[in-house]
Amino acid sequence: MKNTLLLIRKDFRRKWRNPVVLIGFLLLPVVFTFIFGIVFGSTEEQILPQVPVLVADRDTSILSQFFLTALSQGELKKLMTIEVVEEERGRKLLDKGKASALLIIPENFGDDAWEGRRTELLLLKNPSEQFLPQIAEEIVDTATILFSAVFSVFADEVGVLRNVIAKGSFTDLAVADLSIRIKNRIEGVGRFVFPPVISLKQQTISEKEEESSSISVYGHILPAIAMMFLLFICNIVFEDTLREKEKGTLLRMNVSPMMLPEFIWSKILTSALIGMLCTLVLIVIGRIIFSIYWGNIFLLLLIIICLNIMFAGFIAFIYSFIHTERQAGAVLPSVILVMSMLGGSMMPVENFPSFIQKISQFTLNYWGLKAFHKAIQKDPFHDFIPILVGMLGVGIVFSFVGSYFMQRNLRKGLLK
Amino acid sequence: MLRIEHLSKTFDAIKAVDDITLEVQKGEIFGLLGPNGAGKTTAISMIAGLLKPDSGKIAIDSMDIENNLRSIKKIMGVVPQDMAFYEELSGRENLLFWGKLQGVRGKILDARIDAYLKATGLLGRERDLVKKYSGGMKRRINLIIGLIHQPKLLLLDEPTIGIDIQTRLNIYNLIKEASNQETTILYTTHNLQEAEELCHRIAIMDHGKILALGTLEELIQIVGEKDIIIIKGQFSVNQGRNITALFKDVTVLSIKEGILMLSLEASKKMPLLLEEFFKQGIGVDDVAIKQPNLESVFLKLTGRELRE
Repeated sequence: MKNTLLLIRKDFRRKWRNPVVLIGFLLLPVVFTFIFGIVFGSTEEQILPQVPVLVADRDTSILSQFFLTALSQGELKKLMTIEVVEEERGRKLLDKGKASALLIIPENFGDDAWEGRRTELLLLKNPSEQFLPQIAEEIVDTATILFSAVFSVFADEVGVLRNVIAKGSFTDLAVADLSIRIKNRIEGVGRFVFPPVISLKQQTISEKEEESSSISVYGHILPAIAMMFLLFICNIVFEDTLREKEKGTLLRMNVSPMMLPEFIWSKILTSALIGMLCTLVLIVIGRIIFSIYWGNIFLLLLIIICLNIMFAGFIAFIYSFIHTERQAGAVLPSVILVMSMLGGSMMPVENFPSFIQKISQFTLNYWGLKAFHKAIQKDPFHDFIPILVGMLGVGIVFSFVGSYFMQRNLRKGLLK
Repeated sequence: MLRIEHLSKTFDAIKAVDDITLEVQKGEIFGLLGPNGAGKTTAISMIAGLLKPDSGKIAIDSMDIENNLRSIKKIMGVVPQDMAFYEELSGRENLLFWGKLQGVRGKILDARIDAYLKATGLLGRERDLVKKYSGGMKRRINLIIGLIHQPKLLLLDEPTIGIDIQTRLNIYNLIKEASNQETTILYTTHNLQEAEELCHRIAIMDHGKILALGTLEELIQIVGEKDIIIIKGQFSVNQGRNITALFKDVTVLSIKEGILMLSLEASKKMPLLLEEFFKQGIGVDDVAIKQPNLESVFLKLTGRELRE
């Protein structure tokens, strides 16, 4: 143990003297977060850019106009920009990538809706975009369902309204009749509708409460990218193992009373400790620069400890199969990048197809990110226990297996 | 202090160390001399416990290495050929680290560091990072690391490669001083002058075997009063062999086309030998005479120069 501490101290001193690479790996997540934050917006409301949607209205009835107006009102207006175009031009613009989707309202849309006949809207999506057309589809889909629901529930009243519009006789009597009919209909369905199953509660909330529940775009991006770079930081420490072998210091230590496992465990612990410090620094930067509220400090510390033990153990395990710095240079970045991509460090796991989402669950990044998101969302402590125990367990198992195989690996290569 | 009996090690059917036996006394500087690939490093690696011998026994300070490796490591120091220390640490930090790793701590360690830094002329530069040191200064630090815990047995693997004369002399002094304090030193080198100057006894190794072992004087006795002559010219192997057959008391050490290596009493036989070459119309380009020394011993024993 004395030797292990001595070795850790030595490695810390060396890293302190030559911190350029470490600082680089610490700064990159901050820079990436800053850039992504600017691109995607820094607040919840500005996470995504507005989706440009073209509309070709073949019907041009009062109902199609009503539908279009509904799409460009209130909250939807923030999500989409609607531009009415000729269908041919709309198709050309979509081909050129000038819009995310083209919505075609068919002829007789209004008549069919009045008559209660089935009618279909056509949404053409831009194949070169991935997310924005998806959002347009979801919005139009929801609007269509709501529109259909209104026509189904108020079918009779819609008929009366249609006659009124057709005759152009907006008399007080007609309007009063329509109002009474609608009132009666609402009262009729009232017991199903009121109290509403889903209600929107509005209140003015304090800044602190806002921090506690929502994850800002920075809260998504910084931990995600940090996961990847923390793995690279662990890698730096373990690269040193091969360098010590190459340089002869390991051989010299091996002729001293130090035992090889002490050397290996010193690297695992140094890697975990440096990782913990770097995570702490990133968390502080996240709080100061990006105003990320990280949740409970005690919980956060537990996450930092478990996460970095898991990372150090994993990298030790990988290094137990690597013999030279050249091999490490080829293998480790590939492993880290692939795992980071699958684990949600480069894009949200939710955007992956379901079979990749299942694979994601076998990556370390996935669990680290999950823990951080839960902390930010202030989830209850018992939700964390399986994640923390899992990370710690994986870290310990990897560390022991890695240590065992690394001993054999290092012994073989000690003599040139 | 160090006893080796019938030590052997084979790598892929090549006998790197072939049945060597030797004993080194306390405080003795023992030279292991041989060309590259002679088996010196393999032998030293087995003594250091880094390699397991195929057969044979090694005992250090009466302790069998197989069963007492941890205890032996405490009394053993190693100075490898490589600069095995940390460039990002200062000289003092390196010595503190390696000293503590060997179990020396506190004031004793500080005092030893100061003494060695002073002895090697590094005092005043000890707080500079080692990466700023010259090659010679690095060599000195490399040696001090091996000495810092005052080991009973010090293994030195060619510790003076690529350094200036001043540093070399400084290192010799340190080694002699350690020997005076009863540290046993096993010194591998292929520098003959170094072996002559430093070592109390020398073993000449080649192809994994010890060809000769003794003090410098004892080894020179092997050559006797004879000199080593190297003749270079335009002659075939047969021509060289025929000419030397004409002379008694001339021993052929090696013969290749154009190069003849002989052992003879130069003052008496040399003129006659050269005359015979001229008589037969064979051109001689170069003649070198080597007085009896370690190099001539090595030539006689191996039939080749150490640098070949």
